[in-house]
Amino acid sequence: MSVASVPFSFSRLSLIAGNTFLEAVRQKLFNFLLLLAVGLVASAQFFREFNFGSSELKFIADFGFGALIFFGSALTIATTAQLFFSEIENRTALTLLAKPLWRAEFVFGKFLGVFAVIGVFCALTIGLMMALLWHREGQLMEMRPEDFANGRLIAYGDLLVVGVLQWLKFGVLTAIVLLIASFSNTNLFTVVTGFFVLVICHLQYLARDAWGNVDNPLVGLVVRALGFIFPNFQLFNLADQVGQGAGVSPVVALQVAGYAVAYIAVIGGLAVYSFRNREI
Amino acid sequence: MRFNPAALRPFRTGAVVTLGLFAAGVALRPLEAPAWESIRAGQPALRLESLKDALGQGVTVGLLGGFRAIVADLFWIRTNTIWEDNDLPGTQTSIKLVTAIDPRPHYFWLNGSRMIAYDMPNWRIDKAGGYDAVPEAVKRRFDEEQSAVAIRYLENALEYHPEDPILVLEIANVHLNRLKDHETAAALYLKASQHPEAPFYAARIHAELLRKLGRNAEAYAFLKKLHPTLPTEDLGAQADVVLGRIRELEEELHVPAAERFQPRPAASPAAVAP
Repeated sequence: MSVASVPFSFSRLSLIAGNTFLEAVRQKLFNFLLLLAVGLVASAQFFREFNFGSSELKFIADFGFGALIFFGSALTIATTAQLFFSEIENRTALTLLAKPLWRAEFVFGKFLGVFAVIGVFCALTIGLMMALLWHREGQLMEMRPEDFANGRLIAYGDLLVVGVLQWLKFGVLTAIVLLIASFSNTNLFTVVTGFFVLVICHLQYLARDAWGNVDNPLVGLVVRALGFIFPNFQLFNLADQVGQGAGVSPVVALQVAGYAVAYIAVIGGLAVYSFRNREI
Repeated sequence: MRFNPAALRPFRTGAVVTLGLFAAGVALRPLEAPAWESIRAGQPALRLESLKDALGQGVTVGLLGGFRAIVADLFWIRTNTIWEDNDLPGTQTSIKLVTAIDPRPHYFWLNGSRMIAYDMPNWRIDKAGGYDAVPEAVKRRFDEEQSAVAIRYLENALEYHPEDPILVLEIANVHLNRLKDHETAAALYLKASQHPEAPFYAARIHAELLRKLGRNAEAYAFLKKLHPTLPTEDLGAQADVVLGRIRELEEELHVPAAERFQPRPAASPAAVAP
């Protein structure tokens, strides 16, 4: 039975996703990075001595988001590449794809499995950070009630929104790594390229800033095109807005979420296209 | 040799993927642009001119990872270590690097500018042979040069914290304490005092500088306008001190008793005493 003769199946997709999720949580890498991130967030209070600039609560929030973004990015790239290539290297991909299974089901199944694992990571890290902030804010409220005349200072809803947006950013990163893996021959190449693309996506706004200052029109055009090819990851950098002014605007949060979902669909689609053209 | 179209497949795939990404970038720009404008407005650190000083210093990963605050804190500790060695170029570079990484906290701007304006002239005098050996004109030149650097640094801070009264006050302090330029300092203290979040002392110093400049009538008019705005219950407002200065100026300006300033009834009893 050929693939063309069977319709796209969400149950097959969810089977692959579930299996990917189980495989990922059993990995030492996931547990190791999760422990590191959780440990770092939990120890944020002990780093207060190093804090000169911002307020204590803002410092803990910054530190927590730092751990989430740093270890989350590492986990996303490494896990996606490892899980994809384990199927290729163990030849299970051959067995799977010999059956009536769409390559789109395989790629999006992998995506959803990794996305769910990253979701667990984000939920645990953000949950711990919020608990820590709540606890410390409570202590400070008892010590200096005059500073909390209008109630709690931290907008916990905003923290949650920023956490969800970070999760979506990791979703875009997962799709990017799957796209790279779809044509790459080795796990190492995928991981290294994934990290480079992560850096480019974080800094592409600088290229967009700079293109107007480039004298050579051809170079300017290339720089401008690069600004369109790579998604702008600084867009998800809303953690700075937490606890400042009006906080995180719901409209902006929805726009960023829409941007992420659209990119996941497009890059995921391109990964499927690229994977279909690959000889396994 | 026959042409094999399959050989072109990787190139075709690459081209389709690149074009697809480009098209997505163009199509999603209308969704991204308003959100990006809003996020950027709230985060002045997201500027090319801000980050270019920090890139290539081994901090990029820290910044990308979101550890902006902790990376800046660690670099501030390093700045203090360099400062202890009286290393002028090293300290100056390190101060600028810290605020390039995290321009949000006032702490770095204020303390950095104080190192530049107050400490560094002394280092230069020491290096030039000490206080006894260096002529006054040279000392003055060191003060002026370092003050200029500090003022430029603080003006850069104002780009991230527009109209911030604390930063304007710091510039005024440099003009007053290092350059002994009372005229400019008075104007800056006035500017700072007009901000709703300005500390009360900004207005008081402005009036005192007007007196030092011999503009007593102007100082008297300013203090008379200021006094009714001061909350008597706030010790920081020092309403009684301001009233005392008004009385002093009335004596100096020979204001007739009938025309003397009458504080509002709500003022504290102490404030009414001449």
